[in-house]
Amino acid sequence: MNFFAQIGILLRKELVLELRMGYAISGILLYVLSTVFIVYAAFFQGVNSPMLWVTLFWIIMLFASVNAIVKSFVQENGARQLYYYGLLDPLAVIVSKMIYNISLLFFLSLLTWAAMAFIVGNKVEEFSAFLLALFLGSAGFSILFTFVAAISSKADNNSTLLAILSFPLVIPILMTLIKLSVVATGMLEDTGIGKDIGILVAIDLVLAGLTLVLYPFLWRD
Amino acid sequence: MIRQSWWKILAVVILVYTILAGMLIPLKPGIAEVTPRALQAGTEVELTVTGYNSYYSKAKNELRAWLKLKGDVVLKAARIEVLNDRTMKLHFILPQYLPSDSKDDACSLILDSPIDGAIVLPDGIALTQDSVNLLEGKKLWSVDKMDQLNAGPKLTFPYRSVLYESIRNQYFHVPLWFAMIFLFMFSVNFSVRYLRTYDPDADQRTLALNRAGFVFGLLGTVTGAIWAKYTWGAFWSWDVKQNMTAVALLIYSAYFILRGAFQDEEKKARLSAVYNIFAFAALIPLLFVIPRMTDSLHPGNGGNPAFGGEDLDNTMRMVFYPAGIGWTLLGFWVASVAYRVEKLQQRLLDA
Repeated sequence: MNFFAQIGILLRKELVLELRMGYAISGILLYVLSTVFIVYAAFFQGVNSPMLWVTLFWIIMLFASVNAIVKSFVQENGARQLYYYGLLDPLAVIVSKMIYNISLLFFLSLLTWAAMAFIVGNKVEEFSAFLLALFLGSAGFSILFTFVAAISSKADNNSTLLAILSFPLVIPILMTLIKLSVVATGMLEDTGIGKDIGILVAIDLVLAGLTLVLYPFLWRD
Repeated sequence: MIRQSWWKILAVVILVYTILAGMLIPLKPGIAEVTPRALQAGTEVELTVTGYNSYYSKAKNELRAWLKLKGDVVLKAARIEVLNDRTMKLHFILPQYLPSDSKDDACSLILDSPIDGAIVLPDGIALTQDSVNLLEGKKLWSVDKMDQLNAGPKLTFPYRSVLYESIRNQYFHVPLWFAMIFLFMFSVNFSVRYLRTYDPDADQRTLALNRAGFVFGLLGTVTGAIWAKYTWGAFWSWDVKQNMTAVALLIYSAYFILRGAFQDEEKKARLSAVYNIFAFAALIPLLFVIPRMTDSLHPGNGGNPAFGGEDLDNTMRMVFYPAGIGWTLLGFWVASVAYRVEKLQQRLLDA
């Protein structure tokens, strides 16, 4: 079985598992909805500035992503992982997890956007730029969090460790995303938007490349 | 022993040199204050000049001063009265008209002395006139010429407003950062070596280098914060580089916490090596890319000119570059001591 076929099978497995254990995905969805509602309730004067809207959006996304991804190495026990690694290429395992998490987070970010638009109000004017930001953000978050989750799953108290290890690393991505999204709300006219996109793509690619290089040292126990 | 430790001796020699030179070489003479700052055309004015590191009384009769407007037109001081080394009074007889097509203009003050050299106070003085007469003004202002300016003392650091004496921090703040970057780079190198050989020694070297790098990063932040207090007004101004520094230190704190999370030595070494490589790659956009695209108070960022040109003259280079080498060598010395401590602790545990 070649590498890509393995990835395909693993992706199908992830999807089937996710749908079969419906509580995990619906838990995340409920998490997003209630956080958006808390934001709405806490800012009782309304979220009027696009800057604030964008910042809140990405903070909600950040915590939702951590919660969505932390389970990607936890839900399967060590024995089953050993079985995968015996049967398949370890790289296919991490690549499939990354691809799955990218699509999950992209879906999640669309949902957060919809919830924000419905409850707080929509501030985005340039849809294509914001969609691009969502995609690049989901990609960056999921690559980073998947890799760090792989490290922290080897330790015992791994959800704290995931936050400690990944939050400092996520800041450059988050800052660029917020800048890009503020441009998408039409509040700032920024001619340097291409540079921001370039930086995000570069960070995503570097992180993805490092994951592929370093994962072979990580999975073995 | 000398053959092994030559670089430690070199570090001490260089650091002693940079600290002595960096602290003892005086600043170039400058103009600290001029009053009044607003002059009216057609009047006789008396400017009180307060100098910095200046020796006016030594140069008494050879002192010259000009007011300079755009287009290289100058007006020479009619009389100069030296009170002491740091204060003098300049008398100017301002003509009725300015060589300017508006009622307001700004001029710079230029002093020249064989002892202190030529000193410029750029655009520091406002000029006003009641009516505009460009031709007459040009005629009136082109009587005097400014020529044969003196070079002034050679061995000085630049006198810059805002920075003043704190310019000497350049030999501590910036080299400490250089040292930190080099230490982290070498620690990544040893992490890679660990993952290739699984040699515990490489892991101990990584740990020692990261510890030393972390301390140097803290020192770089503290020296920077003190500098910021004097120049920007606050220890922490939410400048992008300051924030990125805080993040970088958080990343390496996370490295130490990660090490604490494992009992098994082999697992600890392997996972922290992986994280160390990953973190260093994430650090590069943090320190070198993001600050360049965001507004920053630091030189060389957000459209600010890089620290160079007039801010970093040849005298400063003579101290600054050795300081970079000296602090980096000291960093590796600290790391090597930390490495030996780690080794000895390991031996005690094994015994």
